[in-house]
Amino acid sequence: MKLLLAEDTADLNRVVTVMLQHSGFEVDSTFDGQEALERIQENGYDGIILDIMMPKRDGISVLTELRKQGNITPVLLLTAKAEVDDRVAGLDAGADDYLPKPFAMKELLARVKAMTRRRTRYNKDRMQYADFSLDAETLALSAENTVRLSLKEFELLQMLVIHAEKELPAEQLLGTVWAAEPDAGEDTLWLYVRYLQRKLQSVASEAVITGSRETGRVMLHGDNAEA
Amino acid sequence: MSIYGNHASELERIKEQLLADIQEIRGHMTAELGMDPIEHLLGRVKSEESMREKCRRKGLPETEESALQAIYDAIGIRVVCAFLDDVYTIRDRLASLPYCAVAEEKDYIRHAKPNGYRSYHLILRVKDCYFAEIQLRTISMDTWAALEHHLKYKKNVQGNIRLIEQELKRCADELAATDASMQTIRDMMQETDV
Repeated sequence: MKLLLAEDTADLNRVVTVMLQHSGFEVDSTFDGQEALERIQENGYDGIILDIMMPKRDGISVLTELRKQGNITPVLLLTAKAEVDDRVAGLDAGADDYLPKPFAMKELLARVKAMTRRRTRYNKDRMQYADFSLDAETLALSAENTVRLSLKEFELLQMLVIHAEKELPAEQLLGTVWAAEPDAGEDTLWLYVRYLQRKLQSVASEAVITGSRETGRVMLHGDNAEA
Repeated sequence: MSIYGNHASELERIKEQLLADIQEIRGHMTAELGMDPIEHLLGRVKSEESMREKCRRKGLPETEESALQAIYDAIGIRVVCAFLDDVYTIRDRLASLPYCAVAEEKDYIRHAKPNGYRSYHLILRVKDCYFAEIQLRTISMDTWAALEHHLKYKKNVQGNIRLIEQELKRCADELAATDASMQTIRDMMQETDV
């Protein structure tokens, strides 16, 4: 599981980073909102921890921007104790959870675990990306036409949508979509990537999935001109 | 007097020629692919009675002109393929037959009809004189169309028509997904062959 942390207080940043790494997470630490946003746009994360009060760009503005771009990665906000309005604004802006400072490290860890666990079962009823939509109830993929996906195809495409326009490492996709099936290997992943490539064509979508065994990375593009 | 005037036997000959050319295309593709691309192949000249009925339905006079120039399916051919890509390969090879030109085509595979119908319709102008309608589709699409046809022409279908239509649409979308998966599996197998 890969996390992004944005916290401008150097000591706190370091303590949280080390604690999360110690608990098995891979952590990218950043010290301001602008840097956080840039890192999120370059990489796919399984969860994001944002301080609200930060230089250059505050946490709520980063969150608002992410949600505006259709990024639905779970976000935990760190808020100062008295900032009730901030908490409300944060939840309104699309935060999944918040934690008032000062906090106990084990509470932060528990909340991060809960948040990322939820994400692997994240079931938004209907996701829209570029010219296609994905219906969680019927597993229908629709653009001009509709086809029905299998559960694994659906979960893989959902991951790609959540991290659209970013290169995702094959291991990360395998580890998330096929987490319960340790026997599944790269052959399975690449076959499913090809199923989805075909199915996007079947529904006459402009979106394309690129990726190859050689690069070991997969990426969803909103239209084929970018690919 | 036949509605086809004295063209009836020429229509038969053209149908037979198209079928023979499709068999030849099939032979080449079987060698290339290592498998027969066609599951079945049917051809017919529209019967006198149904051509007259179609003229009436379209508000056309029951004449040779209507049957041969205004209506395009006096000659009808259906090519049912096992795999999706073969539909398009056969389409390309038919379109480049020397005595044929593409008069019109509709890709209802890429642009499925709202009810879920999928098929490739190719209308060929043959020898600058006749028309032939070629329908190309996969086995799944053919199976679906057979059941849908049954629904459309059965006078008193019991039960909730809207539900049946929704469910047929769902089946069409599931079959389209299966066609895409099967094609992907074949591609993968052929790559491993190399």
